Amino acid sequence: MEVAGLFHNLALGFSVAVSLQNLFWCLMGAIIGTAIGVLPGVGPVATMALLLPATYFLPADGALIMLAGIYYGAQYGGSTTSILVNLPGEASSVVTCLDGYQMARQGRAGPALAIAAIGSFFAGCVATVAIAVAAPPLTKLAQQFAPADYFSLMALGLVFAVVLARGSILKALGMIFLGMLLGLVGTDVNTGNTRFTFGIGDLFDGIGFVPLVMGVFGIAEIMSNLTNAERRDLLSSKVSGLMPTKEDLKRSVAPVLRGTLLGGLLGVLPGGGAVLASFSAYTVEKRLSRTPEKFGTGAIEGVAAPESANNAAAQTSFIPMLTLGIPSNAVMAMMIGGMMIHGIIPGPQVMEQKPGLFWGMIASMWIGNLMLIVLNLPLIGIWVRMLLVPYRLLSIAILFFCCIGVYSLNNSANEVLFIAFFGVIGYLLMKLDCEPAPLLMGFLLGPMMEVYMRRAMLLSRGDPLVFLQRPLSLAFLLTAALLLLFIVLPNVRKVREVAFSE
Amino acid sequence: MGRQPKPRGEASERMRIKNGQDLATGLLFALVGAGGLWLGSDYPMGTAQRPGTGVLPYILSWCLIATGGLLWLKAALVEGPSLTAWAWRPVIMITLATVAFALLVDQYGLAASMLVSMTLAALGTPETRWFEYALFAAIMLALGIAMFIWGLGMPIQVLPKELSWR
Repeated sequence: MEVAGLFHNLALGFSVAVSLQNLFWCLMGAIIGTAIGVLPGVGPVATMALLLPATYFLPADGALIMLAGIYYGAQYGGSTTSILVNLPGEASSVVTCLDGYQMARQGRAGPALAIAAIGSFFAGCVATVAIAVAAPPLTKLAQQFAPADYFSLMALGLVFAVVLARGSILKALGMIFLGMLLGLVGTDVNTGNTRFTFGIGDLFDGIGFVPLVMGVFGIAEIMSNLTNAERRDLLSSKVSGLMPTKEDLKRSVAPVLRGTLLGGLLGVLPGGGAVLASFSAYTVEKRLSRTPEKFGTGAIEGVAAPESANNAAAQTSFIPMLTLGIPSNAVMAMMIGGMMIHGIIPGPQVMEQKPGLFWGMIASMWIGNLMLIVLNLPLIGIWVRMLLVPYRLLSIAILFFCCIGVYSLNNSANEVLFIAFFGVIGYLLMKLDCEPAPLLMGFLLGPMMEVYMRRAMLLSRGDPLVFLQRPLSLAFLLTAALLLLFIVLPNVRKVREVAFSE
Repeated sequence: MGRQPKPRGEASERMRIKNGQDLATGLLFALVGAGGLWLGSDYPMGTAQRPGTGVLPYILSWCLIATGGLLWLKAALVEGPSLTAWAWRPVIMITLATVAFALLVDQYGLAASMLVSMTLAALGTPETRWFEYALFAAIMLALGIAMFIWGLGMPIQVLPKELSWR
């Protein structure tokens, strides 16, 4: 794509993003994101679910700008808790605890926080440009997709979600099927028949995305978090002197660059996102380091790389969502939910039909990153104070916001009953060590896949071979099959070894 | 993963369930799959050119059953974590708190439903300190009414219908 077009697009984006109203929503997103990032036990998915009903009252661009801000804002905030309390504020900041907390114990919390923020800012800027560069060609490509190609691409996305899921592959697979089945509940748009509604009127329109997410992520998380008594050893008194030394900066340059690159690449993959990115970046740094023994004792590289990586990934994961309309993780599923609330069908047409919204959102990411670095570094003391709110009170507040949030969607008390139901289901799944993210992806992609499957079959006059005859579709399916094979074979061998050893 | 090496060499070892968690998950998947098949048995299948309502439920249900079966197989062959106990107190109290809000809000207004729901949630953990909770509840109540009814203009009454001035 020519450079002039890029500048033109970004200029359009900035003109939208710097409107007073959108700046305000961007700031709100950044503040809320930082706050929930700092608080352990409150994640971006649950928070975005909480706020989805509220975004109904906002204009579409303001709503999406705020929701996006919450996600990457949480990546900034998460590192604060990791470094000062040795508790990950977010799942993506787990590895930051290892070296960040050690640095804080040595009285170097300031430089650790600063490097985390600077690394995140750099990664955020690079990732914003990456989205702006990658989006138009990908959108062009997506416009040539036939229904069969879409179907196969979504199948590939689900396979990625299985392959990249933490823990058991079989469980992730089952969760996807379960999610797809849940997605089918309600009236079949093609034929008008109802499926799995049990005659309950509220289910005729399908299971609501918001009640499902709030139940599985919000309510279930409260139940599980209340079980574990928490201890917080705050090292806030030791935040003195934010400036990293020259030596710190010199040692951080390469890790930040590598973390950004790795995170940016992993973020695009479905099922990837910020968590995978930060883990991988830490591992890579440790392996490349000339002094790997220093990792875990307060090496600044161990903070710089994962914090850059998780922010880069948080942003590049917008690419498949914006260009193809396919969610690559639970947060992007939430963004799609936000779009749908405003009547925007996610997909390649968004860029052409709503260029202001599309580029405005991308430009707002850069602005948001700038806001975050200002919010996070000088104001660190305020965020740390938030950690003094105990979870026993926080949980009550979250519960209340879940209830009223769902109620406000349709003024339907029945939907509040649904979140109670899905909360128990979510807790059960947590106990079984089944991750809810693949369930959510199945829930969203299942009905979409059915639509494309039907269109493809109609176009091919009932010939299922159409999925193999179109080159793009074939390529997607082959990739999916290879991935599955790649992941299944070693496991089969392991099981066989165990089975035959007895 | 908290895997614990178990004593080996006994004859009963082979028959014992080695992986309670996978077994339970497999059972859950298989049950849902079977339920899907049963409920979906009379959904029309359509033709190849126009697949009907029943096609995807049928395929997905079998996929779930198959996944459940594989998990059973795994549970029989590979050691894994066993089931952990449920924390009944938070699960029950949080569920009750949510249900209470749903049942009370239309009839008795926001204030009453919030108070009952929040108190039930507070009973969910032994860590609740009641003086602190009372103060917090008062703040939440004021905040909730100010934000959602005055701020966002949601059509909920504050007080029960009989007492309401609206």
